[in-house]
Order: sequence, then C-alpha cells, then structure tokens
Amino acid sequence: MNWFMRWFHRFGSPVWFYRIAGKWLPWLSGLFLLLFIPGLYWGLFVAPTDYQQGESFRIMYVHVPAAWMSMFIYVAMAVCAAIALIWRMKLADVVLICSAPVGASFTFLALITGSLWGKPMWGTYWVWDARLTSELILLFLYLGIMALYNAFEEKRTASRAVAILTLVGVVNIPIIHYSVVWWNTLHQGASVSKMDAPSIHVDMLIPLILLGLAFQVFYVLVLFLRVRAELLDRELNTGWVRQLALEHDDD
Amino acid sequence: MTPARKRRLTMVVLLVAGVGLAAALMAKAFQENMNLYYEPHQVTAGEAPVDHDFRLGGMVVDGSVRREEGSLTVQFDLTDYTDTVTVNYTGILPDLFREGQGIITRGRLNQSGSFIADEVLAKHDENYMPPEVAESLKKAGKLPDGEAQ
Amino acid sequence: MNSPASAFFAQLRRDLLVAFRNRSEALNPLMFFVLVTLLFPLGVGPSANLLQTIAPGVLWVAALLAALLSLDSLFRSDYEDGTLVQLVLSPQPLGLLVVARVFAHWLMSAVPLLLLSPLLAVSLNMTPRAIPVLMLTLLLGTPVFSVIGAIGVALTVGLRRSGMLLALLVIPLYIPVLIFGAGAVDAAASGLPVTGQLYILAALLVLSLTLAPVAIAAALRMSVSQ
Repeated sequence: MNWFMRWFHRFGSPVWFYRIAGKWLPWLSGLFLLLFIPGLYWGLFVAPTDYQQGESFRIMYVHVPAAWMSMFIYVAMAVCAAIALIWRMKLADVVLICSAPVGASFTFLALITGSLWGKPMWGTYWVWDARLTSELILLFLYLGIMALYNAFEEKRTASRAVAILTLVGVVNIPIIHYSVVWWNTLHQGASVSKMDAPSIHVDMLIPLILLGLAFQVFYVLVLFLRVRAELLDRELNTGWVRQLALEHDDD
Repeated sequence: MTPARKRRLTMVVLLVAGVGLAAALMAKAFQENMNLYYEPHQVTAGEAPVDHDFRLGGMVVDGSVRREEGSLTVQFDLTDYTDTVTVNYTGILPDLFREGQGIITRGRLNQSGSFIADEVLAKHDENYMPPEVAESLKKAGKLPDGEAQ
Repeated sequence: MNSPASAFFAQLRRDLLVAFRNRSEALNPLMFFVLVTLLFPLGVGPSANLLQTIAPGVLWVAALLAALLSLDSLFRSDYEDGTLVQLVLSPQPLGLLVVARVFAHWLMSAVPLLLLSPLLAVSLNMTPRAIPVLMLTLLLGTPVFSVIGAIGVALTVGLRRSGMLLALLVIPLYIPVLIFGAGAVDAAASGLPVTGQLYILAALLVLSLTLAPVAIAAALRMSVSQ
C-alpha cells in the first residue's frame, strides 16, 4: 500500500500533474488521430449498409460513442467526487468540474445525432424513446452541476457542493434510467423490444469500437487541457506558477 | 464501546437496513405482474374497461390490413394467438408497422366490440446487419421480426 | 446528555410549533396546487374525455411543482438567523434532526394537498376507482419530494437567489417518483393492477429516507461553513 499511497499523493500534486499532462498531450493527440481517422473512414465508407435502416444507420458511429462517453464521464466524475470528499484531494475537484462541460457536450452530441437518426427511422426528429429521454435528463444533471458550480463565488465551497450533488446524481442515474425505460414501455410497443443484447454484424462493430476508443482518448485530451488551464488559474499565487511564467519569459 | 463508535455503528446498521429494505421492496415489485396493456383474450372476456381509454397489445394478423380508399382509415386484426380483436385507426401508421409485427395501440372499445385506436406504436428492433445477412437469416427462419411470439 | 430520540421529537415539536404559528404561509402550497390544476381545463379545454386522460399526470405534476415551491422555507429563515449553525453544531446526529425538520415540513405542506386531491380529481373527471390510488401514491411520493428537495435546498441555502437553480437541480431527481406515481394512477384508471408500482414507490421512499439525510447533513455543513 505504501507505494500506492505515495503515488496517490504525488498524483494529487498540481505541479506534478501539470508537467506530466503537458508531456502526454502530443502523444494523446497522435493516438486520437490514429483511432479517429481509420474508424471514421471504415464506419462511413467500408462498413456495409444495414438491412432495415439503409445508409442512415451510419450516424450510429457518432451517436453511440457519444452516448457511451456521456455516461462514462459522469461515472468518472462521481469517482472524483468521492475522492474529493473523502481525501480532500484538490486535483479530484479540478478533474470533476473540468469534466462536466465535456460530458455535457457529449450528451448534447448524442441527443442531436439521436434526433437526426430519428428523422429517417421514426419519421420525426424527436420521439420520447427511453434512451433519448434518459440522455435528456442526463444533460440536465450535467447542466445542474455546472450551474451550481458557477453560483458560488468561492471555488472551494463550490467544489464541495458540486461533489455532493454529483454523488447524489450517480445514485439516482440508474433509478432514473430504469423508470424511464418502464415509462417508455408503458407508452410504446413492449412486446417487440428485445430482451437480450442487441446484435450487430462484426464489420459494423469494428469501426464502432475504434471510434469509441477515439472518443475516450479525446476526452482525456480535452480534460488534460482544461485541467492544466484550471490549475494555473487556481494556483495563480503559488511559487511553481511564478517559476513557470519566468521559464516562459526566457523563451 | 465509546459513544462515538457506537453511534457510527448504529448509523451503518441503519444504512444497511434501509438499503436492504428498499432492495426487498424492489424485488417484490418485480414479482408483481406489472401489466402495461391488455391482450385480445382479456378484451373478448370483457375484462377491459368500457368507460376509459386503455392500451391493447398484440400481433398484427397476416393479410388482415385493409385500407379505405381515399382516406387514412385502416382496419386490421390484433391477435395473441388465443383471440382476435379488430382495430380501426385513422391516421398515419408508423414506418415499421407491418403484418406479423407486435404493436401497441391506445384507444377504447365501441359498442360493436371493435377497438377504436387513437394511437398506434411500433418499434424498430435492435439488430444492425447488412441485407445479405438478413436475407440468409430469413431463409433460416431466424429473422428477429417474428420474435414476439 | 439527551438521547437522539428525544432530540428528534424536540426538534419535530419545535418545527411544528413554528409552522403552526405561521399557518397562513403553510396554506400557500395548497393554493398553488389548486390553481395549477385549474389552469389545465382552462388551457386544454373542458372536454371530459381529454381531462380524464390527462388527470393523473396533471395532478402529479401540480403536486410536484407545489412541493418544489414550498421547499424554499425549509432552511431559509434558519440560515438567516443563525439557527442552522446551532443545528449543525449540536452534539446530536445532524441527519436525524434534519429528518425531523423535513417531516414537519412535509406534514404542513404536503398533507393538506393530499387531503384535497380527491376533490380536484373529481373536477378533472377522474374515474372514481383511481382516486384511492391517487391518494396512496401521493402519500408515498410527496415525502420523497420533500427529502430529495431538502438536499437541493441544503446545497443552495447560502446563495442569494437560488429559486431557479434549485428547480434545475431537483427536478431531474423527481422524475422517477413522477413516472411511477402518475403511472400507477393511470393504470388504476384503466383497471390494471397497481401493486407493482406501489412497491416501487415504497422502495424509493425507503431508499431516499435512508440515503438523503447523509447528503443533506453534508450539504448543510458545507453551506454553514462558507
């Protein structure tokens, strides 16, 4: 446990994180392009058309990874919230609040692409589909977190408030999702919804996985950029930021 | 035990008991039959309300869809393989409405025992595959279209 | 030292007494509930069939909004006059005192609304067999509104203008209760069994009563320490 705690504390140090994240940025950018470009090409041009939905199913390659990320980021934020509340780790606060706009953007993207997909499939831009509705509620959870953070003037209080709200939200997300699914089957054709996992052809699956990974890397990339900026802002009056500014003056 | 410890223990016990009770109630809820719609045999048995809208679910009988000339009125039969109810609907049917597919309608019964629907709902399935695969699945009789039987 | 149980009842008694002295204020959520319900026939027209269809949803949404608007008085005046700091500093478990406070608030704001709901249900032409279910679901659901809402109030009580923010934070968390509450009444109106939904509402009530006090206590500590 000793090495773990040492690593944990070092990881919580803003200086250390600022430098490491800076070194990682070019690598992450490269990895992102390496996953994103082939994934997109494969998804949009190589993968076969769908038997029922034709070409319009291809919007899935943006929609599904965005929806995955919208949920993944919230869980990541909840983990940060727990770390921030239990160990009072400054970096966890920063990662939590910097993730919120990224998560909200992915949720928004999932909603927009979902409704664009709905137009050819359901004949209308918006259907009160269970997953679309859950995404919409998730978007409001993200917006609530951001609004609460901005309502406080002092950043430390704001971070604690946001951490509590995020944890309350993560307990509620499964309940909200389940209730929306139930509500939806109440209003839609319950007998035709499949109970087992959705099946997908392998040629269509590979680009989906590539793009899923690409979105994941993109999140980390954007998160690092935001966290670096936020750290500089919060630690404006500390020695290491001054030193950094002096280093850049020499350039 | 020190009072602080004792209090913390009580709190943990209360938390566990509360979450456990909630889980037990949830489990009980799932055992209950949460009917979302009536089936045709319940309608013919007279169990469905006559003074109130309700949902009716079933399979569209093959070859039963009759469209009225020059209007949007459609008539089709819904079955649960025990009994059959005739449904009248005026409006645009969803794209994925087809014969042999499970659907849900909402409306109420008229005096002659047929169902006047205000709303017809169908869902696309969650399978994504190229047309050739769908074709071969259909030959093997495994296409998910007929899954709701 | 007093036992936690006697602290709970002392807190409950004190809060009920304060609420009773300001009883005109306690009637406001009720009036709001009636007025919002009244808006629907005026807005969508007096068609009996239509009103019958939307009645469960309308009554539940009106109850939700009334609960939301009544929340502001939960901690506001105590925060302003410093009583809240006393509450947080008390040697008794804060979560327990908070439950007493929320319970008193629920008795004063939600119970009158619950008792009046059959009248409004009749005015919306709701099927008589659904009315007991409406009251039962409101009995199980409105405490959840109060408890979850208290988390939002505890988080925002230190802010100057928090009304809109509170709605944004709390409404998404209210959705499951609304869905199962209105769903149960709707099912009862078309003669379907509702025990499943009632069990789920009871589960939500137990779960929120168990977990929310922890969050409320943490949020109150955050709010008074700023």
